[in-house]
Amino acid sequence: MDLAVKDLKRHLGRFLTTVIGVGLLFGTVLAMNGVFRGVVFEGISLIEATNPDLWVVERFRGGPFSEQSTLAEDFHYTVAAVPGVAQASPFIVYPVERDIRGKSTRFTIIGYDVFGGLGGPSKLTAGRGIERAHYEAVAHKKLGLSLGEKIPLGLHFYTVVGLTDNITSPDGEPVVFLSLPDAQEVLFQRDNETVRNQRERLRRSLTRNAVTSREADRLISELQSETHTINAVLVKLAPGADRLKVARHIEDWLYFSVYTSQEEINLMLRGRLAKARMQLLTFRIILLIVSMVILTLVIYTFTMEKIRSIAIMKLMGATNWMVIRLVLEQSLLLTLSSFIIGWLIIHNTQDFFPRKIFLTPLDESVTFGLALLGGLVASGLGIWQALKTQPAMALGGH
Amino acid sequence: MEALKITGLSKVFGSGRLEVRALEDISLSIAAGDLVALMGPSGSGKTTLLLCVSLILEPTAGTVIFDGDTIYRDGWTGFDVRRLRREKVGFIFQTSNLIPFLTARENVLLPQYMVGMKGEMAENRAEELLEYMEVADRADYLPALLSGGEQQRVSIARALANRPKLILADEPTASLDTIRGKKVMELLKKIARENQTAVITVTHDARMIEGFDSIYHLKDGRLNSEP
Repeated sequence: MDLAVKDLKRHLGRFLTTVIGVGLLFGTVLAMNGVFRGVVFEGISLIEATNPDLWVVERFRGGPFSEQSTLAEDFHYTVAAVPGVAQASPFIVYPVERDIRGKSTRFTIIGYDVFGGLGGPSKLTAGRGIERAHYEAVAHKKLGLSLGEKIPLGLHFYTVVGLTDNITSPDGEPVVFLSLPDAQEVLFQRDNETVRNQRERLRRSLTRNAVTSREADRLISELQSETHTINAVLVKLAPGADRLKVARHIEDWLYFSVYTSQEEINLMLRGRLAKARMQLLTFRIILLIVSMVILTLVIYTFTMEKIRSIAIMKLMGATNWMVIRLVLEQSLLLTLSSFIIGWLIIHNTQDFFPRKIFLTPLDESVTFGLALLGGLVASGLGIWQALKTQPAMALGGH
Repeated sequence: MEALKITGLSKVFGSGRLEVRALEDISLSIAAGDLVALMGPSGSGKTTLLLCVSLILEPTAGTVIFDGDTIYRDGWTGFDVRRLRREKVGFIFQTSNLIPFLTARENVLLPQYMVGMKGEMAENRAEELLEYMEVADRADYLPALLSGGEQQRVSIARALANRPKLILADEPTASLDTIRGKKVMELLKKIARENQTAVITVTHDARMIEGFDSIYHLKDGRLNSEP
């Protein structure tokens, strides 16, 4: 006779309600695990997917993700000439907010050398990579674009030729890959009125400094702001080249800062993502503690409701094991059922979250282990209460 | 044969100035099939005596001989009293005290399950007892769906499940009206006679003890008997 199951069957409605309640709580804990991992996953996905041997950025800058870094585009030729460098490619990355299908949408544009350069989409889920110098794009699936669809960016339309899904910006926004010149144009392209205003300001400035009007007209085009800039140079090392040696050479002789992909990841984790990670980790721990406390209270209440029945059974001579089994079995059934409910909830809703919910078997196993431990601790409290119950409680007073 | 013999039993709670002598030099003897009533005002020590007799409370002094074995001698026991309780003692309570999440049948099966009796044999025994108590048609009902009298009859069936040597009934009629109360007492008499089970009943109601073999009165922890 399984007393624990019989009790739960008699109170099935209450048991199911409790399981759903605690299950939702476990679902939230698992979701927080996923949010935490998702923030890290998305934060470094671009670095991991690009994964060059070295990232060359503006001197003393932690760019291109943790901090702004600006380099002249042609510096990649200089870097390519360094001994040990097999390939050096220009790379530009920046966030934008533009209308896509009539809806203002945030995304990140990545510009790279589409003709064999580094930094392009590492994996396509549909279509092909960019093969032409202009007006082609590879977009993240999250943007909801279809192959062949044209998106307006700046003054031109770009045709989506490929779709990807494994790279997001460090903020979790979808990315759009363009050729480097297209990305620079979208970044620096100004409307005609702005260009006219800027030219006029320059003309006034020059003429105030004794430059003739004719001379000023000639100089204006030269003094326009530089648009051939990039954020980083991506380096692929020659086989057998010493990564550290090449990095030191670039730093010492070309006056840039150089990072490996792992160092870029560390910069992200210790810099831009650090506070978000700590915030989520703290919340995750608090949530887990709250879940454990609630689970303990639920199991303790379940036990206390049966304390008179336990006293009767003890009076009738029930063994301690019989009492322990009653409490322990209910506790484990409750914990296990709730965890399964929580697991099912989060696995069936994760795609509805706006940002990546990255669920890992390790996190789930650890959470399950802790839930089980909490259930055992909770049942320990119930068992202690049950064992110290006096059989005399079953008798009335005289 | 004596089912229970108590000699010079005392129970003292606390010590020094806080000492309370709940029972003082109690001696009584109950034979198999005897029906004994235990009466007394509140605070007279009835519950304490019942707890000592039911092997829940250790007496401070005296001897308790149960079914031929000396269970307690001056506060010491070498027996697994819990095992003795589940194998040889049946309990009937003031209120039915059935396990609320078990059906009437399961409540009768529970003591058998505690002594390792399962399967068809246990089911047959439960059926037999429920029929004996005339509640077989309510076997699959939860206690909450039974009347007070039905609950008490199921409770008696449960007490009989393991063919106990001794039944302890703690105010078994307290929650019943006079007619149902008398019926329960008649049942207890029948059980004592037919099964040769010693029955000790605690009661306040003198009308319920007609035909009992012995009536003991407790006052301030001391026992007076009347035949």
